[in-house]
Amino acid sequence: MTTHSIAVSGTATDARIDADGGSAPPPSPQPVPDAGAQRRRVRERDGLGALRAGVWVVLAFLVGLPLLALALQGIQPEARAVFGDPAVAEAALNSMASATGSALLATLAGAFLAVVLERSNVPSRGVLRWLVLLPFLIPPFIGAMAWMALLGANGPVNKTLQDWGIDAKLSIFGGWGVVFLLAVHSYPMAYLVIAAALRRIPGNLEEAARISGAGTTKVLRTVTLPLLRPGLLAAFVLTLVANLSDFGIPALIGLPERYTTLTTLVYRYLASSTTSNPLPAVSAIGLLLLVLAVITVLAQRKLPGGNQVGSAATGMKLELGKAQIPVAIMLWIWVGIICLIPLLALANQALLPAPGIPLTWENLTFENITRTATSPGAAAGIGNSLMLAGGAALCCTVLGLGVALLLTRGKHRSNGALDVAATLPQALPGLVIAVGWLLIAPTLGIFNTGWVILGAYVMAFVALVVQSVRAPLASVSSSLEEAARTAGATPLRALLDVTARLAAPAALTGGVVVLLTAVRELTISILLVAPGTQTLGVSIFNLQQSGDYGGASALALLVALVGIIGLSATAALANRRVDK
Amino acid sequence: MATIKMTDLGHVYDNGHVGLEGIDLEVRDGEFLALLGPSGSGKTTLLRTIAGFLRPSAGELAIGGRTVAAADVWIPPEKRGLGMVFQDHAIWPHLSVAGNVGYPLKLAGVPRTQISGRVEAVLAQVGLTEYANRKPSALSGGQRQRVALARAIVASPQALLLDEALSALDEPLRARLRLELRALTREEGLTAVHVTHDRAEALGLADRVVVLNNGKIQQVGTPKELLEHPVNSFVATFVSDATLFPGTLVDGNFHADHPGFRLPRTQDGYLNHGAEIIGTKPQTGSRSRRAVAAVDPASVRLKAAGSMDQGEPRPGSPLARVTSALYGRHGYETSLDWAGTQMRVLVNGWVPQEGDMVLPMIERAHVFSQETGVEGKQAA
Repeated sequence: MTTHSIAVSGTATDARIDADGGSAPPPSPQPVPDAGAQRRRVRERDGLGALRAGVWVVLAFLVGLPLLALALQGIQPEARAVFGDPAVAEAALNSMASATGSALLATLAGAFLAVVLERSNVPSRGVLRWLVLLPFLIPPFIGAMAWMALLGANGPVNKTLQDWGIDAKLSIFGGWGVVFLLAVHSYPMAYLVIAAALRRIPGNLEEAARISGAGTTKVLRTVTLPLLRPGLLAAFVLTLVANLSDFGIPALIGLPERYTTLTTLVYRYLASSTTSNPLPAVSAIGLLLLVLAVITVLAQRKLPGGNQVGSAATGMKLELGKAQIPVAIMLWIWVGIICLIPLLALANQALLPAPGIPLTWENLTFENITRTATSPGAAAGIGNSLMLAGGAALCCTVLGLGVALLLTRGKHRSNGALDVAATLPQALPGLVIAVGWLLIAPTLGIFNTGWVILGAYVMAFVALVVQSVRAPLASVSSSLEEAARTAGATPLRALLDVTARLAAPAALTGGVVVLLTAVRELTISILLVAPGTQTLGVSIFNLQQSGDYGGASALALLVALVGIIGLSATAALANRRVDK
Repeated sequence: MATIKMTDLGHVYDNGHVGLEGIDLEVRDGEFLALLGPSGSGKTTLLRTIAGFLRPSAGELAIGGRTVAAADVWIPPEKRGLGMVFQDHAIWPHLSVAGNVGYPLKLAGVPRTQISGRVEAVLAQVGLTEYANRKPSALSGGQRQRVALARAIVASPQALLLDEALSALDEPLRARLRLELRALTREEGLTAVHVTHDRAEALGLADRVVVLNNGKIQQVGTPKELLEHPVNSFVATFVSDATLFPGTLVDGNFHADHPGFRLPRTQDGYLNHGAEIIGTKPQTGSRSRRAVAAVDPASVRLKAAGSMDQGEPRPGSPLARVTSALYGRHGYETSLDWAGTQMRVLVNGWVPQEGDMVLPMIERAHVFSQETGVEGKQAA
């Protein structure tokens, strides 16, 4: 008879020996809570506590303080009075309508693209997958400028129509234009979310349906789409919140037709000198948007998420058969109209000395680009934006790595709250964040300085790093850290030497994304801007508003190209790392 | 219920990897057939080809007399009338148990009133009557696999395909489901094709077992045939854990290269008593040829070195050292190092200790006359 006794602490050994004999008394429950308490005590001494405390202090300052100030200011009776203003009611209605409509359109388009590009055998899938994402890589206000260039009164489209003798002026301005452009700029996000959900559906669920007698369309209808529902809903909520908070599109496309949304209304309140103290009214509007965003985020967290176990079998291939070529042609037309032609129109405007001049080699000039890029206003904008984005990227990388480490390593009861504190701001309209910082800036003594914009950027973008680091961290086996512990490292040392080191590349990727996002940001900076702190986005916006389309397009073209190249390269590098 | 006939079936993956080659096989009506092989042997590829998830690149496949795949014929999986159970059950999480089980009937256009009756009957067969309205997430692993089984048989399929159907379950439950599966297929007279890498499961469940390796069929036979008459050294090692001894075949007698390998002599001095020679036997007087002897763990007796009889006629026989002895259901599964050859022996009646020196006495061996003993190479 071999002895099975594994080394156990004193009292349990007797029970173990008895168990071999077959008559085991129930083991005493005493040791279990003891062990738990001991472990907890050890954890508090381990240095992770210091990291946790530090992260919490920073988050309380960066996230808690602005939101608290906003809430306190927003619930004042004088602030609530703003809702009696019919202009506010109309703007709120416009905001809800344009955000809901565009989110619906974006989700539909995203779902269609996800199914076709992920599952079908349509030719040139690889290129199309990248091209449909182009609007995602360009800031919405630059997209709006591109469409203005395309559909302007003297733009290429209306001119061509005129040449053909068609007297129908196409215009992008107004409510419908806002909905359309918001949809154009948010469908790539919906596509990414839905495609990810689609990839998580185990292929054998679809195979089981096929062997049961279901054809391709039947499988899509009865199995794939029902399983995709949480993904569709997530895409809808995400695009809804994003579109609710956008500033550039309603400002450039809506305002000329007096189509006001909450973001542009707040901008007008803050920018105009007629209102003596705009802060109470602005806070009330901000609080309303905050509540709306929190409700949607919480509702979405409640939903059953992607809890299905992935399986090796890949999803069902959608054989298009004869429809292959028509579908490909349709997608290329889509990509051409939505993604490429507006950019060409923008380039056209940037490279021609004045609107309306025919596009020939002799007329092309870099004059717009050199003139604007070297003008003092734009140069200051570029410098400010680079400084702010660089600072935000650095802060977000460090803070995001800390948050992700705490969330994935060790279970602490504050983890849920930490998760919400770090990732909620991403779902908040930029307006809410900007107004929060506007309220606390005077108290902190940073009013009208670049610091207030930096603080708002860190708050808004730290979630990008957390998300980028979290998945790779979660997949790092805790035994790697335990091996370092047995080799003599303290818990904090093991965390920093092993886990943090492994997560560093992902954190860096997140930091680069923050850099590229912040450098062309408009919504937050336009509300927080002061003389001398104008950002690149604000510079472009002001040039456009003042009618210097050539100069604005020149800068916008540079921003668009940097964004497209930078984000594509970052994504490609990140993917390569995942593949390894 | 129907037969499945495969003629010279082949499959080459897009990356050029050969998945299947020259598969000729007929699954008889009502037969329980197991596809057995190591991972990468092509057993899952073959099952997925039968199901219709893979299109063969060569050969023909007919189910119930109807050709479903050939050079110019292709019937998609949904029109083949099959039932299939997947390794991780593939129960649709958005449908109830009854919704899952009734789905194939709904697609077949069975009236709603009849569906509920049929679903109830099948759920009773798998012992899940009271779970009809539950969501799959409320079920245990074994219950989910039963739902998958019910869903696969509800529409009276031509054949039932089982893809590692029991492999994801824990041992005691797996054994019980194995019995239930056997009873159910017998009762319904189902033609079943069962893919597994578990040798005990294949030998225990199946009427016939197909052993696959590198995309080719190695042997088709009843479990008893596989154990007693393996056709090549791969089958002998994979099915029975046999140890291989390369050697030479001269005048019908096998001479191993290994210095200790001896087969028992009969009274009249005939050398190779207990050896079954497989493959074309060399003519008497023909020149010697290379061959391989396979010795399965149950065909060896071990003598402890101390107890050895002085009179035993074994000059120069090297002793073997026990490298490990694991206690198992049928005795100690003992590993030996016998002059450089790693050997597996099943020991009963005494307890081998690590480091013991023993003398292996081979009682039976299969000699494959057309093999050289090099892994994976076969002349046939």
